[in-house]
Amino acid sequence: MTTAAEVLAAEHAAIYAYGVIGAHLTGAAATAARDAEAAHRARRDALGRQVVAAGATPTPADPAYALPFPVTDQASALRLAVQTEERTGAVWRSALATTSGDERQAALDALVDCAIRATRFRRAAGVTPATVTFPGRPG
Amino acid sequence: MLRATAALAAAPLAGCGLFDREDPERDDPLDPLLAATVRLAAEYDAVIAAQPALAERLTPLRDAHRAHAKALAQLIGRPASSLSASPVPSSPPGDPSAALAHLQAAEKAGQDQAAAACLAAPADRTALLGSITAARATHQEVLR
Repeated sequence: MTTAAEVLAAEHAAIYAYGVIGAHLTGAAATAARDAEAAHRARRDALGRQVVAAGATPTPADPAYALPFPVTDQASALRLAVQTEERTGAVWRSALATTSGDERQAALDALVDCAIRATRFRRAAGVTPATVTFPGRPG
Repeated sequence: MLRATAALAAAPLAGCGLFDREDPERDDPLDPLLAATVRLAAEYDAVIAAQPALAERLTPLRDAHRAHAKALAQLIGRPASSLSASPVPSSPPGDPSAALAHLQAAEKAGQDQAAAACLAAPADRTALLGSITAARATHQEVLR
């Protein structure tokens, strides 16, 4: 059972990750990371409004999040970008089952966007193939 | 085994449609998507045969469609024979860039079809349909 609060938590973590990622990228990759961060902020804001509309208080971001590995250069930054999109996409994918109508459409759009960004960052990192068979499926 | 898995997946959804899925003669709303997915893999086969230089780039995408078809067939309780493609009706474009554009259009149409199926599906089917939708979007990135 995936709730708006859980998806919101995933988006908070993604925004934090891009703060770290962006500091290690230059050129086109840095632009892509900035665009990704903006997209995650937009999803976070929409989720926050949704939580408020449901009569709850949106959980704020944690001051810091544990990263899965140290980010020290372009290669590790791209690897974290791929992993961030994969993880966020997985949470949106599980939200499909608990939503309907416009909310499910929004969750599907978010899953698709995460999968596309993951593919772009894999290509930037030289990972082949740049696609996965079942985007959002854990493992 | 396939039938047992489908029954298990359907079990929490008591009510209408539950027993329909057990009967291979009955239509399932995902039959058209399964057929189109098998056809999509066959489109790739045709392009790969005509353009061997594109094989390395296209094979992972073709394999993804095959895996999607297999997962869909399992979900709706269809036999393995549902996964064999009828021949692609028209031969693929002769030059590589036209062939890629042809596949790009097929992926876009396929993404729209899978998205519509995902939005209309019961909860227990949304994860697979969401993944198929997203995969087709990523394929368009790689074909660009």
